[in-house]
Order: sequence, then structure tokens, then C-alpha cells
Amino acid sequence: MKKLTLKSLPAALVSVTAAASLCHSATAHADGVQSNTVRVGMYQIFYHVTADDLQGPFVPAGVNVDLKNTQTVYLAYIRRLNSFLDLEFAFGVPPKTKTIGKGPATLGSVPYNGQTIATSKWLAPSLLLEYKFFDESAAFRPYVGVGVNYTSFYDRQVTTAGQMGTGGPTRLSLTSSVGPVGTIGLKYQPGTRWSVIASYSISRVNSDLKTDTAGVIRTSHIKFGPQALVIAAGYSF
Amino acid sequence: MKRFRCALSAMVAAVLVVACGGTNTESTPVNQSTTHGTLVFNPPLRIASLDAATFKAQLAANASGQQLLQLTGNPTCGVDFYYLKFNTLGAANEATVSTGALMVPTGGTGCSGPRPIVLYAHGTQTLQTANIADITNTSNTEGALIAAMFAAQGFIVVAPNYAGYDISTLGYHPFLNASQQSGEMMDILAAARSALPNTFASATTDSGKLFVTGYSEGGYVAMATMRALQAAGARVTAAAPMSGPYALEAFGDAIFFGNVNLGSTVFGPLITTSYQHAYSNIYAATTDVYTPAYASGIDTLLPSATPIDTLFANGKLPQTALFDSNTPTVTIPGDPTDSAAITNKLKVPSDPNNPQTPLFAAGFGEPNLINNNYRVSYALDAATNPDGATQSPPAAGVPLAGKVPTQTLRKALYTNDMRNGPWGPMEPTLLCGGDQDPTVFFSINTGVMAAFWAPEVQAGLVTVLDVNGTPAGPFAPIQAGFLQSQAQLLAFYESAAGGGLSPQAAQLQLVQGYHTNVAPFCALAARSFFAQF
Repeated sequence: MKKLTLKSLPAALVSVTAAASLCHSATAHADGVQSNTVRVGMYQIFYHVTADDLQGPFVPAGVNVDLKNTQTVYLAYIRRLNSFLDLEFAFGVPPKTKTIGKGPATLGSVPYNGQTIATSKWLAPSLLLEYKFFDESAAFRPYVGVGVNYTSFYDRQVTTAGQMGTGGPTRLSLTSSVGPVGTIGLKYQPGTRWSVIASYSISRVNSDLKTDTAGVIRTSHIKFGPQALVIAAGYSF
Repeated sequence: MKRFRCALSAMVAAVLVVACGGTNTESTPVNQSTTHGTLVFNPPLRIASLDAATFKAQLAANASGQQLLQLTGNPTCGVDFYYLKFNTLGAANEATVSTGALMVPTGGTGCSGPRPIVLYAHGTQTLQTANIADITNTSNTEGALIAAMFAAQGFIVVAPNYAGYDISTLGYHPFLNASQQSGEMMDILAAARSALPNTFASATTDSGKLFVTGYSEGGYVAMATMRALQAAGARVTAAAPMSGPYALEAFGDAIFFGNVNLGSTVFGPLITTSYQHAYSNIYAATTDVYTPAYASGIDTLLPSATPIDTLFANGKLPQTALFDSNTPTVTIPGDPTDSAAITNKLKVPSDPNNPQTPLFAAGFGEPNLINNNYRVSYALDAATNPDGATQSPPAAGVPLAGKVPTQTLRKALYTNDMRNGPWGPMEPTLLCGGDQDPTVFFSINTGVMAAFWAPEVQAGLVTVLDVNGTPAGPFAPIQAGFLQSQAQLLAFYESAAGGGLSPQAAQLQLVQGYHTNVAPFCALAARSFFAQF
């Protein structure tokens, strides 16, 4: 049984809110427009990391980190508010991201630059209010949206290569992040039930990184700058 | 349909909640025990890992490193530098933590497998933040020296930072406290042995051979540790105390009678603070010992996070003026002859035939550190109950004073003097130093111990090496190398590149660096000595 921790509470609240909205009575409109849509697709996530050099005891200058881009499954629930506004609750299967050493080629004689030094999973749901252009009869409807993203990091593992660099078994912590998210997309819906969308989103995900190796603490502040490309199919009901 | 939606939403919520859990890597287990000799973190932090080529390149990157490489030879092993945090005891047996280094050789034959341990004690540091394990700090020259001299040649090196330094929770340093410092050495040895199997270099193991050495303060600590290990029944393979103040009572007497050593204004506060914490009787107030100019806050001044030059510049300590240049008058009721004799001994040295007169005389001035009343109280004790080594001629066997001193500082020195107690080296021992040392006088320390252990010297169990002596015997190349390096340094100081100093100024510069310059040559001698066993 996984434990619900204080840090995970905001995510839980978001999910419960979403669940509550799903449970709310939903009806099909007289013109056949459905109020609820679920989507499944693919996230392609590109990170644009800006991080402070790692600070702390015994850390040479210029030790930094980067992230490898990743992919994951996109899942979303969309609640139609009116002809032009949707509320989207988007989330994905939490992707496992790889943190890469950036900076000196070696720390002493230990390879660093380009090494996978840590992995973590991202739980990163977003809630967006979206404005759709054109009317309900249009098959192609561009849309824009803004909202809020919550990101929590879990299953944080420092790899063997990372431990060689940090100097031993290391606890890695990353503070959760709440930040704005914006999206632009295009929906193609030829009928009342099925649709496909493509979207591009950008969000602000900042976190304070802390490592603890035998009581020695090192820190950094990371701006992940994730950008996501989504292609998904939707079903309305 | 609504039921389906609710089920879906519940599933989504469940996924999110479950996903919030998960495991994360843990840091090193923390040992909650405060038992002395135990590690706080095991495995310990590895600060750096350098293979032989990288270590060589790192040393060769500057002039001092290049000179060191000439002495040590190229590294044949890589070195992993571990940072040990361990439990130990203070001078009053209070629980505390201290830190230190474990340097583990890495590589092929001669660098891994069973390897001997060198237990090393470093010289006095004024900087409280000093960490001998931190090879990434270019000012950690002693750490680089022992790494290059021993670890990179296949010895496992264990060296404490000493309680009171780095992140130790002790608010003072038990300077020249034989019991505490030897105990701390044994504690870090136990801690290092428990760490070894858990390091990245676990293929490097303890062969069971144990060598004990150290320089300056560390030379004293090494000798005290050798004694403590012997008393505990632990076998020391060989030892090499270097340039240490072993004969503390005799050394103290010499200083109080005017033979003021270089660095005395630093050693003075360190030793009085140390013994005050250990015995609580050195002073009731710091003004009992110190002049008003320096008494305030001096009991917590050293070691300091502030560089020593800044402390001098800020007037926290005099640079050299240990004693008042106005000679105090000693009055022993009913004994004008002795009164005059002792007063005469307290005068500023002025013998034109003694080449060390300028050095000794520099220890006098105004404002000075130690007040005259305190100096007189010490001198009276020393004159009426003399140390065997400072009598003229010295007493046979150069023993301690005939009875326990009553002056509390002198009594503390007597207690911690390495001649105190029925003991002598049971394993081969090398005593190394330089006979012109202006900081830790050779004759009154190394010379006195050699005389005290005359039978052991005679039997070949104790070897005395003066690196400044005429090259002879198995250490002749080291002696020749030291003499050559001194000549080169003198020529450098007189050259344009070295500042174009006058011969007198160049000589003074040489004297000021002498104690430090002896260290690598004695360390090389120690390594050669250990290699025989």
C-alpha cells in the first residue's frame, strides 16, 4: 500500500477535484454535442533546463545537470463548458526522466559530463481553460489555453554513475512545483464522437534540488522548461 | 453511463494518489551511537577519486607540486579520498565528533589487496575549517603531501582533522593533550577500519601492518599514539614521529627562559586553552596569563575561521612578541642571589655569539602576549624544580623535573611530556627533524628523547635522523637533498625572481620556512623506513 504523503496531497486534491467533476451530471446537448471527452495519445516532452551550478562541499566549479527528452502516454479529460470554452485536465503516465551530468568531463577521474546520474518519475497533471475558435459545426477548431501545472517528483534514484560522482549512496530530493502552463492546439472532429488533436504546450516547472551523501548536502535550483508536443485521439460522450 | 464515468474518475484519482508514493534512494545510514571510535556515516563520503595519471597531472600543475613530485616520485597508485566523520572524546571525556581522511590506494598490483596503514597526525593549523581530506582545496598542502608520499605509493592513509576543527562539535582543540589526541587517533583508526570494506575500493584491504607517523604537533601526537597503542596491546609495525615537541616540560622551560620559538604567540593560546579545558586550573581569568591587550576573547580565538594574518593585522594576537621586552624583576624573599640569577635568565637574549639570538629576541616586544607575573611564576617553578634536560650539565638520562611542578601550566606540560611514564618504543622508531628548526627546537625535543631512550638508540630500535646533518648512512640522499633544497631556496630569495633579498633577509626568509621545508624530507625518510617492514 503506497502512502499518501503531505507532499503528494496537492496532487491528490487535484485528482479528486477532477473526479468530482466527472461524477457531476453530464448530458448530451440537443444538437448532439457531447459534454465530456477523454483523450489518449502521446506526449513528446522536450526539456530546456537552466540550472544553477551545484553548490556545496567538495564540488568543483561548473558542475551542472541536464535532462534527457522523453515520451509518455497522454491522458486527458475535457469538460465542455460552452461552445467556445473547455476545461481540460491533462495528465500522463508519469515519465521516467534521466538526469544527465553537465560540466567537467570528469570529477577527479570519475566520468561526469554526459553520464546518466539520476532518474525520477514526474507526476505532472495540468488543469487548463481552453478557448476554441470557430463554431461547433467546424471540423477543424484551433484552440488556445492557459492553466496551472503541478509537478511532483518521485521514485528518485541516483544511479551508480551518479553515486560515483557524489561520493556514495545519495538521497535526492526535488521540491514540487506549481506553475503556469499554456497551450495551443488544433482539434479535428468530423463527427460527434471521435476527434484527433495536436497541441503544443509550455509550462514553468522549477524545483530546488538537494542531495545528501553521508550528511554532506549539495543544492541547486533547476528550471526545467518543459515543452510538450501532443498527438491524441478523443472520444466524446 | 454515469457509473462508468464515476468509475473512470475514481481510477484516475487512484492512479494519481498511488503515483504520489514510490521509493527514493536513501543516503548513507546514520549511526546514532556516540560510542567513540564509531563512524557516523558508513560508507563515508568519497570526496574525490584520482587515478595515478590524474593525480600526477594535478600535482604537476603548480611549482610546489612539481617539487613534491621530485621527492615522492610519480604516483604508482590512484587514490580515493574519503571524508570520515567519527565519534570521539574531548579533553574532559566529553562526547564529540571529529572528522578526518581515509586515503585508499587504487589500481593494480601494489595498490589493491592487503595494504599497510599509515596513521598520520598533521601539524598545527590555525584555520578552524582545515580539512586534510579535502584534496580539492589547493591550500591543503599537507593532505597532498601525505597522499603523494604514502597513498599514491600503496599505503592506506588515515589522518584526523583533530577535535575542534572542521565540523567537530568541540568548541576548542585539545592541543598537545597526549591522552585525548592519542585516543582520537585510535578512534579514527577504528572508524577507518570499519569503513574500508564499504568503500568503492573495497578490494583494498588492511594488511595488518600499522605505521604511525606525524609532523610537528602531529609528531607529538604520533609518539603519544605509539605509546597508547602499545599500552592497549595493539601492535605498531613501526613509527616515525617527526619534528614534534615531545619533551614539553623542557621545551616550555626553554621558551619561558627566553628561547622563544617561531610561532609561539599561536602555540601559547592553543596550549593554555587546551589545558584549561582538560584541567580547569591554568587560570581563573585569562588576565592571569595574558596582558590586557590580548586577554579578552583569547580563550576562544584559536583555531579560528579567520586567517591568522588577519588576526595579527586586527590586533587579536602579536605576531612574535610573546614576552615583555621590559624584563620583570624576580624577588625571592631572603634569596637575592637566586633572585638576580632568575631575573637575568628572563632578560631579552642578546648573546652576539649565538646565531639564534635574533630569533629569540623577536619573541620580546610591546604589546606582548604573556604578562610578566605569569612568566615569573613559571620561571620560579622551573628554577626551583628544574627539568633534567635544561640543567647545566643535563642530568643523566635527561629526566623530567624531580617532583611534580606546582605552577599549573608547567604541571600540565610535565603531565603531557613524552618522558612521563615507564615506557619506551617496542618497535622500530625513526625520530626525524632538522637541527636548525626555529619552531620546534630539535635538540630540546628530538635530542632529549634520543638521550632519554639512549638504550633503545644504542640497540638500533630507535633511529635519529637530522635531515640538516652531514649526509651519511642510509638516509644520506635525503640529507643531501634537503641541504641542496635549502641552498637553492637561499639563492632563489636573493635572485630577482625571488624578490632580490639581501643575504640577511634571504636567510631570515629561509629560517621562517625551515620547519615547513623539513616536512617532506622527513616524510620521505619515514616512507623509506616503513618500506623495510
